[in-house]
Amino acid sequence: MSGRRIVITSGKGGVGKTTTSANVGAALAKRGHRVILVDTDIGLRNLDLVLGVEKRIVFDLVEVVEGRCQVRQALIRDKRFESLSLLPAAQTREKEAVSGPQMVRVIDELAELADYVIIDCPAGIEHGFRNAIAGAREAIVVTTPEVSAIRDADRVVGKLTEAGIPLRLIVNRVRPEMVKSGDMMSVEDVCEILQAELLGAVPEDEEVIDTTNRGEPIVLDSTHRLAEIYDKIARRLAGEIVPFTNLNAPGFIGRLFTLWKAG
Amino acid sequence: MMRALESPATLLEPLAEPAAARGRAIVITSGKGGVGKTTTTANVGAALAAAGKRVVLVDADIGLRNLDIVLGLESRVKHHLLDVLEEKVSLDEALVRDKRSENLYLLAAAQTREKEDVVTAQMKALIEQLCERFEFVLIDCPAGIEMGFKNAVAGAHHAIVVCTPEVSAVRDADRVVGLLPSAWRPELIINRLRPQLVRKGKMLSVDDVNGILRLPLLGVIADEPGVIVATNKGEPLALDPSSETGAAYRAIAAKLAGENVAAPTVRVPANGSFFSKLGSLFGGRA
Amino acid sequence: MCEPDVEGEGPSGPGVATAGLTMLRGTSAGLEFVFAGEAFDETWAEMAARLAERPDFYRGSEATAIFEVSVPGDEALVEFLGAVDAYGISLRGIFGPEMLAGVAQRHALSYLGEPPRRAVASFERKRASRADQAALLTERARSLDADFAGARADIANRRARGEPSVPRPVFSPARPAPGEPPAAPAQPALAVLPATLYHRGTLRGGQTLTQLGSIVVVGDVNPGAELVATGDVIVFGALRGTAHAGAQGDATARVYALELAPTQLRIAALIAADDGARRVREPEVAFVADDRITIAPHARAGL
Repeated sequence: MSGRRIVITSGKGGVGKTTTSANVGAALAKRGHRVILVDTDIGLRNLDLVLGVEKRIVFDLVEVVEGRCQVRQALIRDKRFESLSLLPAAQTREKEAVSGPQMVRVIDELAELADYVIIDCPAGIEHGFRNAIAGAREAIVVTTPEVSAIRDADRVVGKLTEAGIPLRLIVNRVRPEMVKSGDMMSVEDVCEILQAELLGAVPEDEEVIDTTNRGEPIVLDSTHRLAEIYDKIARRLAGEIVPFTNLNAPGFIGRLFTLWKAG
Repeated sequence: MMRALESPATLLEPLAEPAAARGRAIVITSGKGGVGKTTTTANVGAALAAAGKRVVLVDADIGLRNLDIVLGLESRVKHHLLDVLEEKVSLDEALVRDKRSENLYLLAAAQTREKEDVVTAQMKALIEQLCERFEFVLIDCPAGIEMGFKNAVAGAHHAIVVCTPEVSAVRDADRVVGLLPSAWRPELIINRLRPQLVRKGKMLSVDDVNGILRLPLLGVIADEPGVIVATNKGEPLALDPSSETGAAYRAIAAKLAGENVAAPTVRVPANGSFFSKLGSLFGGRA
Repeated sequence: MCEPDVEGEGPSGPGVATAGLTMLRGTSAGLEFVFAGEAFDETWAEMAARLAERPDFYRGSEATAIFEVSVPGDEALVEFLGAVDAYGISLRGIFGPEMLAGVAQRHALSYLGEPPRRAVASFERKRASRADQAALLTERARSLDADFAGARADIANRRARGEPSVPRPVFSPARPAPGEPPAAPAQPALAVLPATLYHRGTLRGGQTLTQLGSIVVVGDVNPGAELVATGDVIVFGALRGTAHAGAQGDATARVYALELAPTQLRIAALIAADDGARRVREPEVAFVADDRITIAPHARAGL
């Protein structure tokens, strides 16, 4: 049976698509699923950095599409997660180097090799976005609880719906304290505005940037609270009904409060 | 014996003064999304306007417009960039005057169209037109390096690159700098710096970032939760006299306006729990 | 073997099969048809298609054929020889296992002995056991190979037309006896002289420089930038991107940098990336030693 093809998109840049792709992919791999991550951000590739494999890139998506190598030759096996691989994007090319039908063929091929093909989508709604959703059968829309992000996510939800791709929402970088003080929308508000089903809510954490800089996805640290949250997301994706973590619990608020004491 | 040749410039008649000082068109770009382009465009624009300059902000993020929200003008937008390019309305009808300043105008993006709908030549012509009417034309560039980016850059004469202290942001910014016309000397704004994290070695320092980008540093802005609140309220921090971030933007605006401001602009929240000495921000990682 | 895409086109790029170790390449000793492992018929069919794409590209070239493992059947061999002749390629001789000697004699070909060992060839044999490391030349390198072969076809044409001769590679005149390894080729003087590309300024992520010859950059090479040279790579600045020296197979090529901190280094067909634990404090040079890419301080590496 061929694998699921899930695109991770957002519209707005910087809300955490790539970080989400890496961590959700790794969480699924930790649970034993075969996962292939695909970076479709040609020219601005970052998934390889976030996974820490940038030095092992020999072939990329564009070379696969152009037939200069086989898909298997381009896949980079993650050394930490048995069943996780990455198909990197090209850095020195443009998004027009790949067409929708070409992308579909690559995703089809990958779906024969994995249980989950996770497609990391570039920011925006231009050619790169269209390519990324071309091969997908499901979508995860990532947004932050912030007006501009929600507006862009709304646009993307519209496009996905037009394309007939079912979607679920991940609300990222939530600051429970700001929700409490009324300075930030709640997760429920966001889902309501976007009329979308919630897949998971991830709190803001100052350590995430460092992990992406170092190429060590946060789920590597099983004791970290975010690892548990991504694990739950992975379980929900796999079909389990899992209760959502209460972000208002003291553990969360206490941490964030110390960050902004001066603020 | 060699006779020193007179420099040709000294032999020429002085050129006639240009008819009118033309405005500067500056594109604010980054490559990576979410680093603060739109916030920067709005705040620098607001600060310039507050200082008495005539400023127009152009939102080039067609289909994903946000500049109007950051300025709190979304309810006043009747027409947009594409309407003007397609000559459905005049420029005057589309320009939205800011709520607070009579020097600041906005040309919003279309929300329900695509970036590919913009014709580059038309964009250039429009920016030229705006340069005749305003001293500063700030173009908010979309994320990425696709058509939207190319159109936003097309009409500009200068660029400001916004980058956060993160490896992916630096890589993307570097890519963008490589795609800008080589004659330009883009300037850098480092956004969302957290001095505490830099000190702990958990965030890139200014040197780490500019060690790769090697651009003239226009300013460094520390992270502040107030930015999100301000965006949600549609009130640029540059207009808030008590905001450190606002002060940083005002200093950047002053520099752009040609005033002699000590560089680089670094403001750190003046509170005991944040490290307030300039030096620490420039240190390497631990 | 690469699957052609749906429209029926094969892999792109001049004259080089991209699967396994079978390939068509240009070297200082001439054109080489390398057949490795797979069934001859299939791989020949693909190579024939490559030749057919640009029928005059190789005209006038001298070539050898290398059969690494198996020996082609008579019929297939006749077809191969016929085609090679039809494209104006003159086959100097064939390398292969001993049993090929008889075959060669029957077809009036010179049997040149066991396949020659070269830095590139020997590395490729090791590749089979280092399955997780891709060792193929980059597409750019392979296309440079073919360009080189084509250039030599030009030279041959000029000479055939009686035009003033230009310096060209000298082949070792004495054919080695069967069973003996061939003598090393004489120092090649290339007709299309490689030039050195000089670039002043920082190379940004996403930018590439490709050169038949060496590359000198005065400035930094940022992560995401690529340098591909058939000769050496010299960076008077920090090399943080990717550099490929000896892209055409010259394993004596080197990479020099004031600060050698590349994302990835390639010399000939070897690829290496360091683990990031190195502290770079002085100008360094990377070169191949014992089939591995090695880095040493420039001051002590010896030119």
